[in-house]
Amino acid sequence: MSRPPPPFAPQNPTPGPNPAGPASSLPASFSNLQISRAPPPFASGGPPPGNGPAPSSIRGPQAPPPGARPFPGSPPPPSQPAPPLARPAASVQQSPPFGGPPAAQPQQMPPFNGSPFGPPAQVQRAPFGGPPGASQPPPFSGPPAALSQHPPFGGSPAAPTQPGPLGGPPYSAAQPPPFGGLPGAMAQRPFSGGSMPPFGGQQPPSQQGPYGGPPQFGGQRPGSQPPPFGAQVAPPSQPPPFMGPPGLNAPAFGPPGWQGQARPGIVPGGMQPPMRMPGMPGNMLPSALGQGMPSTPTMPYSPHAGAQVSTPSKIDPNQIPRPITETSVTIFETRQGGQAAVPPAASSEFIVKDTGNCSPRLMRCTMNQIPCTGDLLTTSGMPLALMVQPFALPHPSEEPIQLVDFGEMGPVRCSRCKAYINPFMRFVDQGKFFICNLCGFSNDTPREYLCNLGPDGRRRDADERPELCRGTVEFVASKEFLVREPMPAVYFFLIDVSMNAVHTGATAAACSAISQALSDLPEGPRTMVGIATFDSTIHFYSLKRSQQQPLMLIVPDIQDVYTPLQTDLILPLSECRESLEQLLESIPNMFENNRVADSAFGAAMKAGFLAMKSTGGKLLVFQSVLPSVGTGSLSAREAEGRSNISTGDKEAHKLLQPVDKTLKTMALEFAEYQVCVDVFITTQSYVDIASISVVPSTTGGRVYCYFPFSALSDPAKLFNDLRWNISRPQGFEAVMRVRCSQGLQVQDYSGNFCKRVPTDIDLPAIDSDKTIMVTFKHDDKFQENSECAFQCALLYTTVYGQRRIRVINISLTCTSMLSNLFRYADLETQFTYLVKQAASGIPSSPLSQVRDQVTSTCINILQSYRKYCASVSSSGQLILPEALKLLPLYTLALIKSIGLRNDGRVDDRSYWVSIVSSISVLLAVPLVFPRMISLHDLTSRDDEDTLIPNPLTLNSENIHDDGIYLLENGEDGFIYVGNAVNPVTLEQIFGVSSLAGVPTQLALEQFDNELSKKVNEVLNEIRRQRCSYLRLRLCQKGDQSGDFFRSLLVEDKAPGGLSYVEFLVHVHRQIQSKMT
Amino acid sequence: MSEFLDLEALDGIRMPWNVIPGTREDAASCVVPVSAIYTPLKSIPNVPVVPYSPLRCRMCRSILNPFSMVDYDAKIWLCPFCFQRNHFPQHYSSISENNLPPELFPQHTTIEYISTPETGPAVPPVFIFVVDTCMIEEEIGYLKSALAQTAELLPDNSLIGFITFGTYVQVHELGFGLLPKSYVFKGTKEVSKEQILEQMCFFAGKQKPATGVIAGTRDGLSSESISRFLVPASECEFVFNSVIEELQKDPWHIPADQRASRCTGTALSVAASLLGVCVPGSGARIMAFVGGPSTEGPGSIVSKSLSESIRSHKDLDKDSAPLYDKAVKFYDQIAKQLVHQGHVLDLFACAVDQVGVAEMKVAIEKTGGIVVLAESFGHSVFKDSLLRIFQSTEDDLGLSFNGILEINCSKDIKIQGIIGPCTSLEKKSPLSADTVIGQGNTSAWKMCGLDKKTSLCFVYDISRKVGPDSITQSTSNQLYLQFVTYYQHHDGQMRLRATTISRKWASSSDNVQELIDGFDQEAAAAVVARLVSFKMETEADFDPIRWLDRALIRLCSKFGDYQKETPSSFSLSTRLSIFPQFMFNLRRSQFVQVFNNSPDETAYFRMMLERENVGNAVAMIQPSLISYSFQSGPAPVLLDVTAIAADKILLLDSYFTVVIFHGITIAQWRNAGYQDQEGHEVFAQLLKAPHEEAGTIIKERFPVPRLVVCDQYGSQARFLLAKLNPSVAYNSDNPSPGGDVIFTDDVSFEVFMDHLQRLSVQ
Repeated sequence: MSRPPPPFAPQNPTPGPNPAGPASSLPASFSNLQISRAPPPFASGGPPPGNGPAPSSIRGPQAPPPGARPFPGSPPPPSQPAPPLARPAASVQQSPPFGGPPAAQPQQMPPFNGSPFGPPAQVQRAPFGGPPGASQPPPFSGPPAALSQHPPFGGSPAAPTQPGPLGGPPYSAAQPPPFGGLPGAMAQRPFSGGSMPPFGGQQPPSQQGPYGGPPQFGGQRPGSQPPPFGAQVAPPSQPPPFMGPPGLNAPAFGPPGWQGQARPGIVPGGMQPPMRMPGMPGNMLPSALGQGMPSTPTMPYSPHAGAQVSTPSKIDPNQIPRPITETSVTIFETRQGGQAAVPPAASSEFIVKDTGNCSPRLMRCTMNQIPCTGDLLTTSGMPLALMVQPFALPHPSEEPIQLVDFGEMGPVRCSRCKAYINPFMRFVDQGKFFICNLCGFSNDTPREYLCNLGPDGRRRDADERPELCRGTVEFVASKEFLVREPMPAVYFFLIDVSMNAVHTGATAAACSAISQALSDLPEGPRTMVGIATFDSTIHFYSLKRSQQQPLMLIVPDIQDVYTPLQTDLILPLSECRESLEQLLESIPNMFENNRVADSAFGAAMKAGFLAMKSTGGKLLVFQSVLPSVGTGSLSAREAEGRSNISTGDKEAHKLLQPVDKTLKTMALEFAEYQVCVDVFITTQSYVDIASISVVPSTTGGRVYCYFPFSALSDPAKLFNDLRWNISRPQGFEAVMRVRCSQGLQVQDYSGNFCKRVPTDIDLPAIDSDKTIMVTFKHDDKFQENSECAFQCALLYTTVYGQRRIRVINISLTCTSMLSNLFRYADLETQFTYLVKQAASGIPSSPLSQVRDQVTSTCINILQSYRKYCASVSSSGQLILPEALKLLPLYTLALIKSIGLRNDGRVDDRSYWVSIVSSISVLLAVPLVFPRMISLHDLTSRDDEDTLIPNPLTLNSENIHDDGIYLLENGEDGFIYVGNAVNPVTLEQIFGVSSLAGVPTQLALEQFDNELSKKVNEVLNEIRRQRCSYLRLRLCQKGDQSGDFFRSLLVEDKAPGGLSYVEFLVHVHRQIQSKMT
Repeated sequence: MSEFLDLEALDGIRMPWNVIPGTREDAASCVVPVSAIYTPLKSIPNVPVVPYSPLRCRMCRSILNPFSMVDYDAKIWLCPFCFQRNHFPQHYSSISENNLPPELFPQHTTIEYISTPETGPAVPPVFIFVVDTCMIEEEIGYLKSALAQTAELLPDNSLIGFITFGTYVQVHELGFGLLPKSYVFKGTKEVSKEQILEQMCFFAGKQKPATGVIAGTRDGLSSESISRFLVPASECEFVFNSVIEELQKDPWHIPADQRASRCTGTALSVAASLLGVCVPGSGARIMAFVGGPSTEGPGSIVSKSLSESIRSHKDLDKDSAPLYDKAVKFYDQIAKQLVHQGHVLDLFACAVDQVGVAEMKVAIEKTGGIVVLAESFGHSVFKDSLLRIFQSTEDDLGLSFNGILEINCSKDIKIQGIIGPCTSLEKKSPLSADTVIGQGNTSAWKMCGLDKKTSLCFVYDISRKVGPDSITQSTSNQLYLQFVTYYQHHDGQMRLRATTISRKWASSSDNVQELIDGFDQEAAAAVVARLVSFKMETEADFDPIRWLDRALIRLCSKFGDYQKETPSSFSLSTRLSIFPQFMFNLRRSQFVQVFNNSPDETAYFRMMLERENVGNAVAMIQPSLISYSFQSGPAPVLLDVTAIAADKILLLDSYFTVVIFHGITIAQWRNAGYQDQEGHEVFAQLLKAPHEEAGTIIKERFPVPRLVVCDQYGSQARFLLAKLNPSVAYNSDNPSPGGDVIFTDDVSFEVFMDHLQRLSVQ
């Protein structure tokens, strides 16, 4: 049966590199998740055996009892209808889906950590196995008890122990824990990263806990014990956009600066998970942990519990792979032992030491080893792409990027491919020549740059020169990079003042946001501002000092716009701050009685553009209604689509394409003159974001959407978004090119930019939130174990007017082993790739096709793994590569995401697509796979070591009528209030005893009580992590908002989608059918 | 001569022929056409103003007048034009020989009717200031202060609009109190009325009507939307002043080798459209203040490059002014639009350069606008003229709006057209002659703007042919002309002025003396001057000198007294005696001799000629010269270089310029300061007298003439010398008594007369 993927043992070695030490740790990278079906076997005998053999795969059980194949057969559990998967009767009521799977647990084991499949058993154990063993037991034992609660599977739910479910108690004991374990509440915490003794724990006995790390699940049972997410929590690195927790509105958030690392304490010193582990979990199985963790360094995140699991009939929902949160901070050296180290999960907190490769925040590859040939890549089914986020926020404890000034000669470059000097260029012949690591050309070393080589073959000065020892450096741009003086920092604000904008308070909100944000603009004489308002005409304001009052100049011709003045429309901030503030104050009054309903958005942008054409800069547009007149006007085609159903359905995706080329053409012109457009949409209705978003996405900006705009709750977000927009690290008039070693070539770039030539992309502006995805294809082969380098060079102007080149290098080992590809796959990056691919497909194909595409990508990858790397295991098991074990879950989440779900507004989908196009790895995952935490018990939780409580799994079992939950995806925060919540709690959090009158869009105030403070603290921490001021919405059971909330619980079965268990079964079945 | 002046004083009409040649052939042989120069709103002291509507003939719509025959018993009146019998309406029932309504009083040949209240309330006049900002700061400063002064004089109820232009056109929203606010239009693009409606938010909050004409409050616009741009003077004083205060030089950069970019045409088009939108059909003036040539957009007259010079008469003749025709066509469009809307274009052109008056002439003239041409906004010609428009004094202009003039004539006399500031309404009637001159083909004309001075030249056509019955047939030898002017008086009411005159047909074609007796040589000179300048503008290859000479010769041949082939026997009746001199001076005048003037100046002179009455027209043709000396009182002297004397002061009034010329001795005395010394009061008096006289002239005249005070041999003396008959030229044998010679090759009057006599007697 499950044959665990064997041999990983070998792998261990690899891990070795990790400093972290514990050899054992192994990169948990690969554990397979197998989902086997029939648990029964398991139950009893299974376990043990399982262990033995394939540690990992385990599922000892053999075939599903039911005999049925994996999922199919399984009858639905009584209570739960999980249809597809239906688990065997056995399956308990509750644990719906997988109930059965307990068996699964075992699977985890297989992780390959180390090596591919070979000797899995060993490996695993090693890592976990051994130690865990010891420890584990406890877990289990414990678990069982716990389990009992989860009746998940065991048909006999009741049966405390798994026995029921699994059949064999032993197992159950052991394994069950994994999944089974989740006791109700606790269960949820399943993953506490650190704590998790998870698997280890559980399985140990039986199988060895695959990875220490992954234990995710196991932990649960201890339920309480494990400190859930703890560590991970806030990736400090990101600047807390909104630091101040200020409660509500704006003012609140104090310190802007991203610089401020200050993220609130959180991570206490302990960075290394390992460390904490011990401490934490009392209960947990230390051992398990121990082992697991150790590895952490390398693979800190190993979020996944890799597990296998499942039997159709009985899949224990508690044991299927779910993300674990890391609670601790790790230190990550980008290269160790002359090789690229595998970066920690993007979502974990880590501190990077640049030892030759760039920080993974700046650039991250979908796989940490590069396939030697294109065929190998194709076989794997995985994408090869880089996510480049050149201004990604560093962790506060990281060293800043060093600035290198080569003076007039400019940075040393390869004379053939123009690559910049980097640590991987090899100096030879006493340093007289250097060989380009990208094109292989041998260059003469410039005389000024000569230096002798040391005995190790490196230049003697290599360690003193950042460009020779750091993966990321900045060069001062010499004259040859300047076509003109570096541009000043120009900010031009455009505000919609049409009737609806004024009535809904959007205009006032925009004015107040701008006014407050002025102080966040870069200081200095090179900061220029301008402002215009528009309805069916465009109103410019000349703020020239000599005039006491600003002069309002209206451009009425919105088919052919122009600027009313040549100068004086844009002035240094220092010269016009006061008059600008006054003006902003009076604009809402001035247009109070405006009865012009039309809005000339396109024309206004064009006019704003003309005003700043000579310099370039940022055009910040506040738009509130569908642009109905002037150049680039749009129509309410959504409604037209609805009224014309027949074509509407067939061509539904057309609504997601820009209506015509007008705005695109305009955007290209903007980009040419270095004007970046950000659009803040504060609307109550359809505005055709599909068309509008073309402009920001071509000019390096983005769309912000506030729908439906509420004058009560949205101004705070608007202000914070604006403030972050202008204060985050950013650069102007940028050009970026990615070079890679011979053997690969750049296939395409995707993101928010303008591309005029195939090799470069133009970014009128680039900021810390923007990520550019670069895909590659092979045009040649690599030698095994050679290195493939990537270099991203970004020429830009700082907000203070210096021209610089940021050069980001990464060099990865090449491999011809497919198993290595899987083992070194980067789940989050790959998933981000998937999300972006899906988003780019939305406007051009019907949704169902996009979803199928997404699913089949997932299936192909898993099938490749199954076929080439785990072929020995029984076909009855779903075996997942450890590194990608969450792929099915994320894929499911993607299918159910706003962008891909069938219902929902066209604008919401367009907005989703527009966000995704530039989203970072860090935010892409939560966008589709949100985080849910409970708020009502914040003050009573016992995992106080982290600010943010452990996330709950996204299924409705976790939602109780007496609870209050927050679900956030980095954009929105949905606060779900059950209908039996204690009024006292309501009073504490919302300041009301009944929610009847509270608006859906809420502004959460901070009241003088502990719970309220906590809630606000948590919220602010989340905001900081996400660099986004969440848009809060209140969801109540029984009404639409509640239904919407439930639709975000991706593990649930939804009208249009499978539950997680069902999906796993589906995936498994697909793979099986392909295999045969 | 004086009888003609008397007639003019009574009705505002002067005619070259006060006895009308009886047939078409006779009229043709009289050379000077049968015509009339009529000043519709002439200030006539005793004109009765009656508060009711006039009675009209039901056949020809002429108005009851003193020449109508009335049957008091039958209560019937006989129309003198068509001989239709009309019953008096009920309210005239008490009419009797002793109880006549004012319109039947014999002396009331001119009478005014005030509209009854039903015809609508008084409407306020509208003024839109269209101000050029492409000027040096100094000029802008002058203009600001002039405008600021004007602002105080604006009638409280008048509506004010303000537009500035340079590279772009800015329409200031005076009704918006919070900020200075203006709509900015691109200078290169004409703006239609529809665009104004659309783009300036006139439909804010309302659905735009799908069809129909939209304009004004009556036709779909809310008064709030209009009052944004047109604000009562009393309410916008502050805003208006601050807008003026903040006037700034056009901020767009001008390269050193280029002219400022000035979109005069677009600005005017915007102003016209704005008025068309806001107040169609109600009296409004666009007052354009222009400080240079239009170089941008439609109506531009020269390219921006300074290497290209502004068109001269020579360029126009040679057809090498590429923008000229286009610009004229553009302004013609504006003229049509303005006439349609009933609005006026006034132009204040103040620049050393030309500004395009020649091109804009059509729009000014057709709308009856005022034009003032000066060198600078700081010049009194501009400043004082502007003030005069708004000052209410006896000599005020009495600006009126929206006039419609209709005529009636007796049988056998038809109208060819009008030369003067008006537009044909193309209302063809039996009264319109087949031959057309000026604004013809109609019996009704629109005069968007008119004032007390506006004078129109009507050119008639005698349609009666020579025939057996022609003379006997006419039962009466009287003919009648009626002029009916319906207009918006400057106080806002609508009024109607009717003038009816009667003249006699010449009894036979042989009776030359009869015609001579009725010949008004001044009126004839004015008519000929208008004709010649009109022909110069409209007829290609027209040779004015030849035409004038031939006309004069024919006239002299017909009416002179001489023996054939004996030049020395030639003499003219006193009725005709000065006419050759007028013609001599006309030949030398700025109207005919254009090459010393720019096209702008010529256009300006002609426009003034065509709107002035006979007296002023004569001054333009033949300036008056008055001599002041110790020996005698002020006395008119011949316009001749011999008038100059060292001990005399001369006062020349050439209408546009008033020159005070001090003989050299006088100048020396004055420079020595004798006038300030005791015992020399007489000298002081002498010095003062011409200034006083000049002051009187200036006070009555609009535009204010340029006053030049100069001394003999001074550089400014050219203003006088240019006008004098060069009887003593540099090549003459006998020196002039005054010591001045004129450097010219022009013939002197004596030579001219010699030739005339010789040719006339052939």
